[in-house]
Amino acid sequence: MRNLLIIRAVAFNSFVESVRNRFFTLFAVFAFTAVYASVLAGVMAVDQEARVLADFGLALIELTALAYSLFAASSTLLREAETKTIYLVFSRPVPRWAYLAGKLCGALLTAGLMLVVMAAMHLSLLAFRGFGLPAFYAWALAGTFLKLAVIISFAFFVSLFSTSAVSTLVIASIMWTLGHFASEARFLAERAPGIQGAVLTAFLWLIPNLQLFNARDAAGAASPLGLAVLFPAAAWVAASCLGALWLLSRKEF
Amino acid sequence: MQSISALKAGARGRGLLILAAAALAWAAGGFSSRRYVSPFPPPSEMRVPAVGATGDMMALALGARRLFADLWFIRLMQYYGTREFSGEEESESAGHNHEAEEHYGEGKYPLFLPMARHVLEVDPAFTAAGLYGAASLAFNMKRGDEATELLNYALKYNPRGRSGATQFSEDRWKYLTMLAAVGYSKSGNPVAVAEAIAPILKDPDCPVMLKQLAAFLNKKAGNYAAAAVIYADIAATSRDEAYVKNARRELEKLAGIKRQGPARGASR
Repeated sequence: MRNLLIIRAVAFNSFVESVRNRFFTLFAVFAFTAVYASVLAGVMAVDQEARVLADFGLALIELTALAYSLFAASSTLLREAETKTIYLVFSRPVPRWAYLAGKLCGALLTAGLMLVVMAAMHLSLLAFRGFGLPAFYAWALAGTFLKLAVIISFAFFVSLFSTSAVSTLVIASIMWTLGHFASEARFLAERAPGIQGAVLTAFLWLIPNLQLFNARDAAGAASPLGLAVLFPAAAWVAASCLGALWLLSRKEF
Repeated sequence: MQSISALKAGARGRGLLILAAAALAWAAGGFSSRRYVSPFPPPSEMRVPAVGATGDMMALALGARRLFADLWFIRLMQYYGTREFSGEEESESAGHNHEAEEHYGEGKYPLFLPMARHVLEVDPAFTAAGLYGAASLAFNMKRGDEATELLNYALKYNPRGRSGATQFSEDRWKYLTMLAAVGYSKSGNPVAVAEAIAPILKDPDCPVMLKQLAAFLNKKAGNYAAAAVIYADIAATSRDEAYVKNARRELEKLAGIKRQGPARGASR
C-alpha cells in the first residue's frame, strides 16, 4: 500500500511537471495548427475529404504525441540525475522499482492526456466540416497509446545507459521505425537463404512489432485491434521496465 | 568486510535475475506476436514509382499507409483531372459541347493504371480508390483489360476479402459487381452496365464519377426516372462542385423532358 502511494506521488509529480513544461504548450499549439492544416488537404480530396481528414489528423496526433513523449522520456531521468533530485528521492525510503513505475505512469498519463486533447480538437474539426466520428477512431487511438507505451518504456531503458537525451531520442526513433517495418523484415527473413535468414530472424526478436497496434492503418481490416495485442504490449513494456530497473539498481545514488 | 561482499553478491544475483526476467518478457512479446499476419500486400508486390519512393518509405516507417494512400489518390485525381489536349480534340470539342458528358474523362493517361494500382498497393482497403480507378479505365478510357487487372489485384489483397475475415463479403461484392459491369462494357451493352452498377451506387464507397456514369447511361437508355434519382443523389451528397452543378443542370433538363411528356422525351 505504501509503495502504491509512492508510485502515485511520483506519477502525479511527473505528470504535473510535464503539463507545466512549456514544450507541452508548444506541442499543443503545433498539433492544433497541423490538424487545422489537414483541412486544406481534405478539400483537395473532394469526395474523400472525410477519409483524408481523419487519416491526416490521426497521423499528426500520433507523431506529435510521440515527439513529446520521447522527448520527456529521454530527458526526465537524466535531468533528475543532473539536478541531483534523484539523490533526494533515494535518500528517502523509496524503492527504485516504485520510482521507475511512478515515472512510467506519469509519462503514460501525459501521453494519454495529449491524445485525448488532440483527438477532441480533431473531432471538433471533423464536426465543423460536417463529418461524424470515424468508425475506427477509438481503436486507432487505443493502438497509438499502446505503441506509445512500448516506445516510452523503451526510451526509459535507453536513457539509463545512453550519454545524452539526443542519443536516446535517436535510438528510440530508430526502434519506432524498425517496429513498423517488422512485417516487411519478416517477409525478407523468410525468403533470405541460409545463415542470412537465420541472422535476420534472430534480429527480429529484438524488435517489437508495432504494426500489431497500428489500428490506424488496419482500419479496413475486419478487426483493427484485437484484445490479444494487449499481451505483447504488456510484455514489451515489462521487459523495458525490468531492463531499466536493472540499470538503475547498478547506479549508485 | 565479509558482510559487505555478501551484500554485493546478493545484489548482483538479484540484478541478474531482473535482467533474465527482462529478456524473458521481451522474448514473450516476440513469441506472442509471431502469428501476426500483415493485412497488406507483401513488399514484392509493391511497384514503387521513382518519384514516390521516399513517400512509400515514410508510409511504412511511420505506419502511415492510409495517409500516404490518400496522397497517392489525390495525385491520381490531379493527374486524371489534367486534360490531355491535342489540336484535333480541341477543335472537335468546341463544336460538340453537348457531348461533353459522354466524352468525360477520355484520354490516354498512360500512368493511370500504375498510379491506381499503387494506391491499392499501399492501402488495399481503399475500396473507393479501387472502384474509381476501375470505372475510369473501363468506362471513360475504354481500357477494360486494365480495369480487370486492377479489380483482380483489389480482390486479391482486399483485407476484408481474405479468408478468416469476419466481414468476408463486405467489399468483395463491389469489386465483383464492377467486374461484371466491365464485362458488359466490353461487349458494348450500356444498359446492362447501368443495371450492373446500380447496387454499388448506394454504397458510401461509390465514387461520384461512377454515379455520374450510371445516370448518363440511364438517361441515354430513356430511363429518366432512374437517371433523375441518381442526379438528385449526386446533387445532395457530393462535395465536388463540378459534379453538383452538372447534376443540377441535368435535373432541370430531365424536369423539362417530364413536363413535355414521355413520348417527346424518349425521342431525344
